[in-house]
Amino acid sequence: MHRSDFCVTAMFRDPFLFGDTFLLRMLLLLVVASMALFEAARALGLLSPYPFPLLGPPSLASVAGGFVFGVGMVLAGGCVVGTLYKLGAGSLAAGVAFLGMLAGSALYAEGHAEWTAVTRATRLHDEALTVAQWLGVPPAMLILPLAGLGAALLYRWFRAGRMTRPSHALGHIQPWRAALILAGVGLFSWLLVGMPLGITTAYAKLGAQVESWFWPQHVAALAFFSAQPLAYQPPFVDQVVRGGPGPALDAVAAIQYPLIVGILLGALASALCLGEFRPRWRVPRRQLLSALLGGLLLGLGARMVPGCNIWHLWGGLPILALQSLLFLLGLVPGAWLGSRLLTRFVIRR
Amino acid sequence: MTHDPRIIPLDIQGQICPSCLLLTLKLLNESGAQVRAGTAVLEVLTDDRQATTTIPDAVAKMGYRCEVTRDAGLYRLRIDAR
Repeated sequence: MHRSDFCVTAMFRDPFLFGDTFLLRMLLLLVVASMALFEAARALGLLSPYPFPLLGPPSLASVAGGFVFGVGMVLAGGCVVGTLYKLGAGSLAAGVAFLGMLAGSALYAEGHAEWTAVTRATRLHDEALTVAQWLGVPPAMLILPLAGLGAALLYRWFRAGRMTRPSHALGHIQPWRAALILAGVGLFSWLLVGMPLGITTAYAKLGAQVESWFWPQHVAALAFFSAQPLAYQPPFVDQVVRGGPGPALDAVAAIQYPLIVGILLGALASALCLGEFRPRWRVPRRQLLSALLGGLLLGLGARMVPGCNIWHLWGGLPILALQSLLFLLGLVPGAWLGSRLLTRFVIRR
Repeated sequence: MTHDPRIIPLDIQGQICPSCLLLTLKLLNESGAQVRAGTAVLEVLTDDRQATTTIPDAVAKMGYRCEVTRDAGLYRLRIDAR
């Protein structure tokens, strides 16, 4: 991600700011490749459970969460994973956004009961998790034609030279290669731990941990932090494992903490190898404030959905998860509003 | 007798995305006449790797030339008239 600057925020922001859809085409490639890989693995009986855990029934609350997330990622200058790789390469603004995300995730816990009521009241279906389940058809019947259509479009763009762009950055990896690598990593994650890449519950966990240093009794009393929504039997494990957003070191911590550390260290190693790592402190105050506010909205939005863009766009969208489609529906106008706020109030000379 | 063009510097190290492209385009809008006349060049200093793709691409569409050099782990983009 660092070498190719695979920025999901730019994918949704740049069409509004610059009319530039280059990175959005890379996202389409990632989704289409993941559709093909996930569907092939499912047909071979390698994906268990299917759909993956933690996906909920569709609710309009996910649209609202996606909207908040979209505004947040543009103001923060990166999404949850984007700010991590930028932080690893030395960005102070990304570090501030990271702290904002912890605070936003912890803040959500205060209104969890009310938001759960909203989520239930705006539920569109009680059981179906994917479009295929809703329609009662095999997943392949929907996913394969869509993947074929996407592949045909991508092929035309490749032929027209619209999938590559020259870069002068040292050690640059073309984003289309990164998209294919990341689709492979997503499949590997599902095969290894039983679900695609996800990271944001760990932010709530970290936020809860920090909050519990100051107000341990308050954290212990919050229902959100004692819930354990993750309960499943991963591949290669002979028992059910559990986890949730509370500060305990559980299955969520075992799966997501290493991913956070891995992305940070990966970006740090990449920047060091290129001689481009340097702590960057001289950031305009207005931008630091924007990063903090954006981080707060990212943390809050990710819990409202629940799940972040990586989880939903790289994991849920390729299997046509309803929650992921609703998240996307909110994310796009959120990115538009974020772009307007960014150019009006944040980036100025 | 010819004069060296005036250098208009823009240091955008450490700023959040997409400051590089936005601020470069803004400055180019303000100083475009001088750059086109060859009396000034823009010199952008950035640590944003993506800017080495987006800025040359954007300014080329506007009829300018952009030369990118690497300088102590940073990128220097020199924008002038074609």
